[in-house]
Amino acid sequence: MKMKDLVEFIARALVDHPDDVRVEQLEDERAITLELHVASDDMGKVIGKQGRIAKAIRTVVNAASATEKKRV
Amino acid sequence: MKEIETTGKTIEEATEKALKLLQLPQEEVVVEVITEASSGLFGLIGTKPARIRVTEAIIPEKYMVGFLDGIITKMGLSGDIAVEKTEQTLKMNVNGAKMGMLIGKRGQTLNALQYLVSIAFHKRFPGQNARLILDVEGYREKREETLRTLALNIAQKAVRTKREVMLEPMNPQERRIIHTTLQDNPDINTYSQGDDPYRKVVIAPK
Repeated sequence: MKMKDLVEFIARALVDHPDDVRVEQLEDERAITLELHVASDDMGKVIGKQGRIAKAIRTVVNAASATEKKRV
Repeated sequence: MKEIETTGKTIEEATEKALKLLQLPQEEVVVEVITEASSGLFGLIGTKPARIRVTEAIIPEKYMVGFLDGIITKMGLSGDIAVEKTEQTLKMNVNGAKMGMLIGKRGQTLNALQYLVSIAFHKRFPGQNARLILDVEGYREKREETLRTLALNIAQKAVRTKREVMLEPMNPQERRIIHTTLQDNPDINTYSQGDDPYRKVVIAPK
């Protein structure tokens, strides 16, 4: 639950339309996948050049959770 | 964000009242005058008090501390954040338990966090050209010291062996530390090669 909040919280600070930020959490036995949805013109703001921002979000979330897997 | 409307015989009086109610110093608010005080006709008819709206100003440091604290809390950690502001930098240092989690392997997590916090900072305050630096338990300072020592040692080795020495990949800040440490060394040239994130510094004898 917390991971979802974390991604949402970070993403909101990066976009132009924070109200459109939505995170879906999909779980199976081995991994939790977090799917981040933002307004289409905010896409670039959460991905960044060569996925740099997305990667940074992933790094932070990975640090917060050892066993979980995540993708944007 | 706190906001309040007050009245007073003068704008000053109304402001004072508002600051007391908000418990904020003058520097941290924006005062907007809704109606000016008027003493009416001969001070008799139609006296109107000054009416103002006082809003808590968004102080970049305060906002960034709030943001960073939010991230740390959501990561299940808690720490104290100290802020140091100069003209060129806004430095935030976090201290607390289990801070290794915030640093990560070779400062990986710390760098990712700093990157995100700094994007959020420049997005929220486009006018600010200060560089945002995030540190955890003085990790960066220690790392800087290590890199300086490394640079000096490698430079000696390069001069002694008359060969170029390539360092391991580093991020731009770490590379800058190496470059600036050796820029005054007359026997040495430094340059970077490769592409991020594998860009590395080469120390070459002249």
